[in-house]
Amino acid sequence: MYLILLSIFFPIVVGVGFLIVSSDKETGKTISDTCYSSNLEDRGAVESNKQARNHLLLATGTAYLLTGILVIAAIIAARDEDFILFYLTKALPICFRIDEIGVLFSVMTLIVYVCAGFFSFEYMKHETKEKRYYGFYLIVFGVLNALCFAGNLITFYLFFEMLTLTSMPLVLHNGSHKSIMAGLKYLFYSLCGAYMALFGIYFIWKNSDTLTFTAGGVLNASAGSQSGILLIAAFVMLLGFGVKAGMFPMHAWLPTAHPVAPAPASAVLSAVIVKGGVLAIVRTVYYIYGTSFLRGTWVQTAWLILTLITVFMGSMLAYREPVLKKRLAYSTVSQLSYILFGLAMMTTSSVTGGLLHVLAHGFIKATLFLVAGAIIYTTGKTRVDELRGIGKEMPLTLWCYTIVSLGLIGIPPTGGFISKWYLAIGSLNSGIPVFCWLGPVILLVSALLTAGYLLPLTIQGFLPGADYDYTHLRKREPSLWMTVPILIMTILSVLIGLFPGVIVDWIMEVVTI
Amino acid sequence: MIILVILIPIIAGIFVPLLHFKKRSHMEIFLECAVVLNSILVWYLLLHHSDSTFLLAHFTGDLSISFKVDGMGMVFAGLVSSLWPFATLYAFEYMTKEEHEKIFFLFYTMTYGITLGISLAANLLTMYFFYELLTLVTVPLVMHTLTREAILASRKYLYYSLGGAAFAFIGLIMIIIYGTTTDFILGGVLDLTKIGDRTNVLLFIYVMAFMGFGVKAAVCPFNSWLPDAGVAPTPVTALLHAVAVVKSGAFAIIRLTYYSFGVDFLKGTWAQTTVMLIVMFTIVYGCSRAVKETHLKRRLAYSTISNLSYILFGVTIMTPLGMVGALTHLIFHAVIKISSFFCAGAIIHQTDKQYVHELDGMGYKMPCVFGIFTVSALALMGVPGLAGFISKWNLASAAVESGNPVAYFGIACLLVSALLTAIYMLTIVVRAFFPGKDFDYGKLKDVRDPNWKMLLPLFVFTFFIIAFGLHSQPLTDFFNDVAAGLYTF
Repeated sequence: MYLILLSIFFPIVVGVGFLIVSSDKETGKTISDTCYSSNLEDRGAVESNKQARNHLLLATGTAYLLTGILVIAAIIAARDEDFILFYLTKALPICFRIDEIGVLFSVMTLIVYVCAGFFSFEYMKHETKEKRYYGFYLIVFGVLNALCFAGNLITFYLFFEMLTLTSMPLVLHNGSHKSIMAGLKYLFYSLCGAYMALFGIYFIWKNSDTLTFTAGGVLNASAGSQSGILLIAAFVMLLGFGVKAGMFPMHAWLPTAHPVAPAPASAVLSAVIVKGGVLAIVRTVYYIYGTSFLRGTWVQTAWLILTLITVFMGSMLAYREPVLKKRLAYSTVSQLSYILFGLAMMTTSSVTGGLLHVLAHGFIKATLFLVAGAIIYTTGKTRVDELRGIGKEMPLTLWCYTIVSLGLIGIPPTGGFISKWYLAIGSLNSGIPVFCWLGPVILLVSALLTAGYLLPLTIQGFLPGADYDYTHLRKREPSLWMTVPILIMTILSVLIGLFPGVIVDWIMEVVTI
Repeated sequence: MIILVILIPIIAGIFVPLLHFKKRSHMEIFLECAVVLNSILVWYLLLHHSDSTFLLAHFTGDLSISFKVDGMGMVFAGLVSSLWPFATLYAFEYMTKEEHEKIFFLFYTMTYGITLGISLAANLLTMYFFYELLTLVTVPLVMHTLTREAILASRKYLYYSLGGAAFAFIGLIMIIIYGTTTDFILGGVLDLTKIGDRTNVLLFIYVMAFMGFGVKAAVCPFNSWLPDAGVAPTPVTALLHAVAVVKSGAFAIIRLTYYSFGVDFLKGTWAQTTVMLIVMFTIVYGCSRAVKETHLKRRLAYSTISNLSYILFGVTIMTPLGMVGALTHLIFHAVIKISSFFCAGAIIHQTDKQYVHELDGMGYKMPCVFGIFTVSALALMGVPGLAGFISKWNLASAAVESGNPVAYFGIACLLVSALLTAIYMLTIVVRAFFPGKDFDYGKLKDVRDPNWKMLLPLFVFTFFIIAFGLHSQPLTDFFNDVAAGLYTF
């Protein structure tokens, strides 16, 4: 039980420590600026700055690894143990419980977070105020763990609000006016979503004996008579948590926030933080309302419509977007709704596909954003049409990009294929009138569009054409800090595709419909 | 005994300009001792509640000025007496930069006594009498700086308040005629046989009295005096216009609804729907105006307008749970808002900056003040772990429990307001701590945190915001008892 608490609060405490301990050598200049300056004062400062920076990185790296160990230890030692921290009011305990869904989400969080964390050691040389970044980065890590391990709806909601508040500084990190506006947009959209969810929570509270997550739902007998307002509350909750999960109509914060955030923060935002919204929906639909209450209702139909709209719309907008990171942001909007579609179908296979896609998309999208970050870091270019020939300059990086793109499109033997397979099977078997075939159709169309928006970079990168000026090429592979995390996650996404059996069986056991 | 706690601050206040103090700090000590002594006496009274009524004066029939300590009175008197010593301490520091201190403290301290008079009133007549006195004694405070703005604001305040009190007076008359007594009895005092088939008249009078007392509680459309009163020195706006005056309005409405008219008479009628819709509108209106407002204290004033209607929303649900929600927010909002106003006052005192866009980057120079402001902002929004979440939870639970569809819509209003609150509070916090990479910190060279007299109250309030957020059950249990009538005598 203490392991759970430690895995949550250790990174938060370290992060807060970073924020409070002030450094007196904060200048407005980045490490890379001072390195190349010929000013004598700067030179002197560079050495001591470098030392201070190395200490910071050492502390941060150690914090990542320790937290990772704590999470794994907690998963192994404290499974299925209900642990109440304290009572907010007599009837609302703050409690934690590690169940299978929690394990799935927290392991994915862990891997992506640590990889992106080490990536940022190199990337952040290009930005200022690193200590603040690592401080908030660690705090968000702790909050994410708490979210995965939350045992009831109130604990979940508390950390959901905390997640929004503590991840906003990551979005607005670089301090330009645009990023501050983007940060505020993210903040207010997410808070709007949280309050919509709170609306639902009030009504669930009246109609249930407990808010603890129980497979199959916690609504009690009086729910039948209240079903009108409860269904409205459920729909509002889906929309509310859907804000974080980028579901139409409240997805607009995603494409604004991603281009301005530092690339590792974008990676974490797209791969992990939005999964907080997905986790919220999983908990709400399967562990609070229960599928028997929602299946066949107008809520399910409306939800299916919204997810399919988002899948299609996200892919279309990505296809037309010239800025790479914004393109990937639209891609996230689309891909998350694949997962939500699977959850909305409410059959075993579709939910399995959805949860598998949580895992696969997490690795894939993180890799994609880290590649984009590597490209920005080494070349400063952000638009896809500027990146001809990049494959010749950074072959390893672009190969990883290509492999995970194939995964996102859904080509075997990558992880994305397996998840799409289960989504399609689940949909076709579901028996829901129009959507059972409409779903797979839209998924296929979206797969085509995905190829259309991801592969041009690969093709232009490796085969820039006869009229390209090859003399401008330089070897620009980024350093190991950046390539190793990218490589690790690429390999993982392929492994999921090659050996899906273990994971799929495990997930199918969890999914009790 | 009861009369002592009301008289001590009045007499102490009167003595302030009369006595000659050798040094300013002597005056401070005299006043602070008087206020603290009075607060201790109040708490003694509350904890050893006797069930005796103290009769001060007797008019005709059964009209009298009398006081007693019951559940509701305990809540309000406890709140006011806890906050006043801190507010006085804060005011000492703040008023070093203003003039005519003695007159200021005269009225400031008298207000304490009069507010206690409202809270400990045993019947509607006494409460009405002290209510009018409250207006009279706070007008000089609003007018304090004697600028043209201040004089206009105080005139507006006076006219609105007296106008409101006139409507409330009509309510008082109706209770005298149609009620068995003017005393406050949980469940109401109306004599249904006397009313006969004039129910609609009485419902109409209720709505009028609600709006009358609602002027002080800044109900739309009678709320415009409150932002204008922001021109007063901050201790006035904070204590009076976030705690004493406006909460007296809310308190009076609670007394009117639960203890004079009685919810059994009012529940389910068109009167309930009317007042519920009015307060729901005010909730959203106040927050919307706050978002657009750029003057810091006026922004907080609009926020107060909105939050007072949270309390009134709880009242208009007209169930015991509704009263619990209302009382919870009464207490918690008072602490949160006084904390916010004191932060604003600290900023004005240290930097003379009154507008939101001038506060960029100050978070690093005044970390205590802005840190505390952030906590109160989060509490006002309703982040779990802080007090505001609990009060919203109690209000929403009451609304859901009531089964009233209008109340369900009211929950939506509360949440819209929460989002707007986030917008108008967090933009200040974000600008203060994340001013942007082109910001020139040299502009803020002389900015620093204020001294202990201002910081101590802020820290104490923040402690309570967090403590109430994490451990509110004893207080909620107490409110449940009050609503169930356990403390009526």
